[in-house]
Amino acid sequence: MLVLPNLRSCGWFKGLLSSRHITFSSLLLAASLPFVPADLSAQVDGEVVYNQWCAGCHGEDGAGAGPAANTMLPRPRDFTLALYQVRTTSSGELPTDADMLKVINEGMPGTAMPGWEEVLTEAERLALVDYLKTFSRFFQGDPPTPLDFGRATSGGEDAIARGEEVYQSVECWRCHGQQGRGDGESAPTLNDDAGFPISAADLTENWRFNGGGEVEEIYRVLRTGLDGTPMATFSDIVDAGVITNEDLWSLAHYVRSLSPEEEPSVEEVVTAKLLTDTPLPQTVEDAVWEETERFYVPLSGQIIVEPRWFNPRVDAVWVQAVHDGRELALLVSWGDPSESPDTLWTDFGGQVVTTMGSEDEGAATGSGTADQLVVQFPQQLSEGQERPYFLQGDARRPAYTWTWQSDITGAFESIARGMGTAARQPDSEQHVRATAQHADGQWKVLFVRPLDTGGAEDLALAAGQAVPMAFQAWDGDNGESGSQGAVSTWYFLVLGQPTPVAVYVAPPVALALTLLFGLLVVRQAQVGSGMWREPDAAARAKRTARRKQLAGMGVGVIWLGMAFGSYQNSRAGWEAGYADLGFWWAIIGGLLAIAGLGALIGTWVHTRTLK
Amino acid sequence: MGALKSVFRLLGAPFRPIGSLMGRFLNTPFRQATAVFSLAYVLIEHGIPRIPPLFGLPSAPVPNTVVLEYLVIALVGILLWVSDNEERWSEFKQPIHDVLVRPDRRIWRGALFVIVPALVATQTYLSARPDVSAPPSFRAIHPAPPSAITFQGEQMVLDGLENPLRSTGLLEEHYEEGKRVYYQNCLACHGDGLQGRGHYAQIFNPEPINFQDGGTIAMLTESFVFWRIAKGGPGLPNEGNPWNSAMPVWENFLTADEIWSVIIFLYEQTGRDPRTWELEEEEH
Repeated sequence: MLVLPNLRSCGWFKGLLSSRHITFSSLLLAASLPFVPADLSAQVDGEVVYNQWCAGCHGEDGAGAGPAANTMLPRPRDFTLALYQVRTTSSGELPTDADMLKVINEGMPGTAMPGWEEVLTEAERLALVDYLKTFSRFFQGDPPTPLDFGRATSGGEDAIARGEEVYQSVECWRCHGQQGRGDGESAPTLNDDAGFPISAADLTENWRFNGGGEVEEIYRVLRTGLDGTPMATFSDIVDAGVITNEDLWSLAHYVRSLSPEEEPSVEEVVTAKLLTDTPLPQTVEDAVWEETERFYVPLSGQIIVEPRWFNPRVDAVWVQAVHDGRELALLVSWGDPSESPDTLWTDFGGQVVTTMGSEDEGAATGSGTADQLVVQFPQQLSEGQERPYFLQGDARRPAYTWTWQSDITGAFESIARGMGTAARQPDSEQHVRATAQHADGQWKVLFVRPLDTGGAEDLALAAGQAVPMAFQAWDGDNGESGSQGAVSTWYFLVLGQPTPVAVYVAPPVALALTLLFGLLVVRQAQVGSGMWREPDAAARAKRTARRKQLAGMGVGVIWLGMAFGSYQNSRAGWEAGYADLGFWWAIIGGLLAIAGLGALIGTWVHTRTLK
Repeated sequence: MGALKSVFRLLGAPFRPIGSLMGRFLNTPFRQATAVFSLAYVLIEHGIPRIPPLFGLPSAPVPNTVVLEYLVIALVGILLWVSDNEERWSEFKQPIHDVLVRPDRRIWRGALFVIVPALVATQTYLSARPDVSAPPSFRAIHPAPPSAITFQGEQMVLDGLENPLRSTGLLEEHYEEGKRVYYQNCLACHGDGLQGRGHYAQIFNPEPINFQDGGTIAMLTESFVFWRIAKGGPGLPNEGNPWNSAMPVWENFLTADEIWSVIIFLYEQTGRDPRTWELEEEEH
């Protein structure tokens, strides 16, 4: 392997500790060293580690302006300012070494900063802490002392109710909004200390909280603030006796309660429940939605075709679906603080566009367009696994889309052959209806369409089928339009169907057959050991012959069954475009069919005389 | 060992841990066969996935079909052994026969009559119930590369193609250039750790490639990597599922030198070596 000069300086020991040898090095260390050195960091050059792994975003000079800085908001930390968000110390103080190590280890959720535990050794991470401190002379003084947080209160309904009162009284809603979705009246005016636009956290997504999403971490942020951002410390009003420390813990419990118990998992299949006795919901507020499972679909910036977008507002949509055998109702909900275009947000969006300034051709230069949501399907379902390209299809396989916009009523259907090529279908071919509602920083859009529109060009939905489905979302007030928005890859929509009769019939039949077989086996064994009436020689011979006949037929049937399975595998292989798989399964199936037929015919020929 | 032996002797028990186990519990071919079969299951299901990590390689649970296949092989081996001589075979059958026949094994017999049909019925129910899982998806991870591509309008032969920047003598500069290109373009998905865990990574299915994994770039020639970067997801053959890959077509954004530089960066940053054409030819 070629070793570059700037990577060579650290010698063999560094090589031993480098990431790709984690397992080996720990084994070797354990085997070869009688003790673990007390100060691991002394053996690693923090500058080398920093330049190799951190400088790409934070810059070699630590000023937070590395090559990647323009592709992320919030920006990478500027270490020369010694302003750190995650601290156990008072606002305005330096972080402790443990605070800095925590961020290096765990990363900053909701930002581009990952955790480094699996890439860097502990020695390398400790060396980084030391090296980061050399970027600012503030660290030359005495080490800071962490605050005493007291003990976490137990939470529960009372604490959450008290927390909600505190949320109102200390006016968290001014930025975070009444429902916590970051849609407060001050939200459009927020800038960080470096002058970049910053969003008030959406408190319903605790897995994206900058300082961590658990109660203790929320409390820490409330106590210490997030220095460098508009998130203030609440230590002073506790010290002044306006609220108690326990109130602050209650507030942390309340904020935690706004998010789900656990970070939602991503399911590949969205199921549309079949409604049998309830009518299909026609509004976003219908009670049916409260009982319908929600599916979490995370979105990323569209960074695949020009012009790209690295700062999507919509990080996920929630999808719910039901059908009544005639129509499908699809409810999509997502957090968006404004009903774009909203003049209160024009300035914010303009700043975002300036900050995220893209060199891509055709990049947006301003904000203030409408919010938009596109639900995407293939125009035609293919027999195999082929689908249109997930960014609104391609020339060979077009996508069929439903587009909803905040500045029009309803939604419309289009056929697209690539991002931005959607062509609206003629009015006679429009079948999708949509109603939308924006409340407390959340859009809810309900799409309703007949399962089968009758049109030959339209995608027909049928129960039991897995229909590919993808989502794209734009926040106009965040400077998003055209190809600059948020996208997902393909998911599947499956329409629930009435339970097939086989589900009720097959298990009892299987049970009865197994029981019968068991009884036969036991009887045979007991007859064999003379526990039943001893049959005469002729009868025994006849029974043996019959048993052989049954065995022969059984083998034949089993082989034929396997042949049928092979045939199905073969067909699936051909359909998926795997000619070799299809071919070999066909050969296997053929051989099995011959063997099975042979067994049946052979048994029949040999036992004809029985009758 | 000696100390343990004397402890046993003090307690007045013979020191035959394995012998006594065999003598007391595994004393019939049926029990031995059952024990071997159970051990085989535990080893296959829980043992095999622990082997790759010993060598620093990533691991995954053994697929059920593979477990089944291995268990069938184990079962055939066990049956061969028990039926190898007549005496052992009849000894092996004895407990089975006893359960079927002996009056004092009535309770066992009854229990089997309840448990086995119930299991079969449950299994039938599980497989008959409507399936709402995604249709199976076959995807070739390393599809066969074309021998030549058209790169930004010009013919480029991939067979035998080496990274031209490796012979310029300016490797460090190319590394730095590759680093810039990587951080400005690739980071969001493939991540600063090059493990395919950028902040957008989890949103995509399939997930971005993990360059630190020994099964990715270390198995590929640099020209293969060039092809994958230049043509991206849409340039995959059908078996690579081009419709779902979020990998952009980088020839629309980057020059050839930028792509070759980022390739140098990938190998240097992960400490991996590209596959060479000599090796490629030896194996074909």
